Amino acid sequence: MTATHPDKRFLALLAAGAVLLAGCGSGGDSENAQSSPTTPSATTISPSDMQNEQAPPDRLLIDVTIKGGEVNPTNATLEAKTNEQIVVKVDSDAADELHVHSTPEHTFKIEAKPAQQFQFTVGVPGKVDIELHQLGTTVATVQVQP
Amino acid sequence: MTSEPVVVLAHGLGGSSDLPIPYTYALIGAAWALTFTFAVVALAWRKPRFDPDKPGHALPQWVTTVVDASLTRWALAAAGLLFAAWVAMAAFFGRPDGNPVPGVFYVLMWVGLVAASVAIGPIWRAISPTRALYRLLRLARLPAGGGYPRRLGYWPAVVGLFAFVWLELASPDPGSVSAIRLWLLAYIVITLTGAIVCGDRWFGRADPFEVYSVVASRFSPLRRSPQSGRIEVGNPFDHLPTLPIRPGTVTVLGVLLGSTAFDSFSAMPVWRTFVDRQTDSAATATLMRTAGLLAFIAVVVVTFWFAARATGGVDARSRQRLPGLMAHSLIPIVLGYMFAHYLSYLIERGQQAVIDLADPLGHGWNLLGLGNAEVNYVLSLHPSVLATIKVCCVVGGHVAGVIAAHDRALRVLPAGYQLTGQLAMMLVMVGYTFTGLYLLFGG
Repeated sequence: MTATHPDKRFLALLAAGAVLLAGCGSGGDSENAQSSPTTPSATTISPSDMQNEQAPPDRLLIDVTIKGGEVNPTNATLEAKTNEQIVVKVDSDAADELHVHSTPEHTFKIEAKPAQQFQFTVGVPGKVDIELHQLGTTVATVQVQP
Repeated sequence: MTSEPVVVLAHGLGGSSDLPIPYTYALIGAAWALTFTFAVVALAWRKPRFDPDKPGHALPQWVTTVVDASLTRWALAAAGLLFAAWVAMAAFFGRPDGNPVPGVFYVLMWVGLVAASVAIGPIWRAISPTRALYRLLRLARLPAGGGYPRRLGYWPAVVGLFAFVWLELASPDPGSVSAIRLWLLAYIVITLTGAIVCGDRWFGRADPFEVYSVVASRFSPLRRSPQSGRIEVGNPFDHLPTLPIRPGTVTVLGVLLGSTAFDSFSAMPVWRTFVDRQTDSAATATLMRTAGLLAFIAVVVVTFWFAARATGGVDARSRQRLPGLMAHSLIPIVLGYMFAHYLSYLIERGQQAVIDLADPLGHGWNLLGLGNAEVNYVLSLHPSVLATIKVCCVVGGHVAGVIAAHDRALRVLPAGYQLTGQLAMMLVMVGYTFTGLYLLFGG
């Protein structure tokens, strides 16, 4: 994993600096990868956006992309209620483990494929970290209110 | 549910952490802290009131007799050893999930010890397994050891306490049973070797848990009468100034307060994002967290040191002694912040640790029927009650610290400088409390 990490800064540099290098990439995929770090995580994952997409409003959807060791979003702050359905949708190009540090804890296996859905509820109020275990990245912290 | 047990826990214990306290709570707490501080400075007594020699209400003689009986002492030491052996069994042969070791280490030994020490006194001295081993070695004709170098003071304990908070807050995997096992083995080897070389003074000066326990016990209403040695109930403020002043005393308190603040701070998204941005490898992330932890401790020690010395009318020699003379006033602040921060850990994770201890190896044992119990999340389920308790702890600790500092200033500062000489200390204490409330409110 650490081998892929140097890409992280490089990609960020590319995306932030100029788009012209994107043309040199092998296709649309790499362009997406380059543009994702520039999008602030707050705008892609704001809770109000989530609720607009969902038919039942008492449901929190977290959209996670893992590409080339790069995770989007990271360290997002979200809110939910106890016993509300929390759905994590993952598009990943690598196997990993999703750890939900709630009480009790949940662990889900992530495979290298798009559109995987994991669903859980949290019964005890608190701040719940959702973490990618292999990458050691915190995707989001959900404040679960009673 | 497609969940399965977690193998490796992050953040020491895993599970959720406390919700941030509401903004208004932090604001009201801060306002009270400020008001009390200036009320104390401006309106409180002008003659020192608290005196360690003031007699308390002596408890019946049989209490002291029972506590001091060598049967009691051996029974407590044996209980400590037995418990240590039970935990060691879990540490070496326990299952990876539901292992009681992290809970025992981070909750019972770190927070539970403080609660017990405030309630009944320096309990670690009685139950410490290393002290028990040493007593057994002495029975087997081990020579008494050479004496403890006075200049070392509490510094070995400072190193030990820092090693503990480093493992919890900065190391790559705080929840790993093997890391905790290694830490505890090193602790036992160092403590025993030190005691064999330097004699049993080593425990009181260099064992981090014993120093921690003694520091917390100075705010306990129970104490020994300085004259007769009888156990008595007295005003904790009379007890506070009996904190031994040795090299490193201020730093012990700085490690305790700074690390607790860093624990809150390091959970903030700003800090996490910063660490993620700066570094790609676990090793450099650990280095950055270590630097952050050291910075928090250094800020507490340096600000306290300067504030204690910031007075007029004293010569260089007495100025040098001031930080040590004021150090005990930090104890209530440390305790208040400690309980604000870790109370739910102590109550809820403490229950979990005890339940896990019933079956440390995963063989389906059920010691004392504890395995059937379920954790009662009484505090987490009532976040506003928890937030109120937290603010009360922080503000209460602050007020007690300010009162202790005021009284001591009246005793040690020269006439004419007793009011102005306190100001820097009061401002620094307000600073600690505001920072503490800010961190609890989550920034």
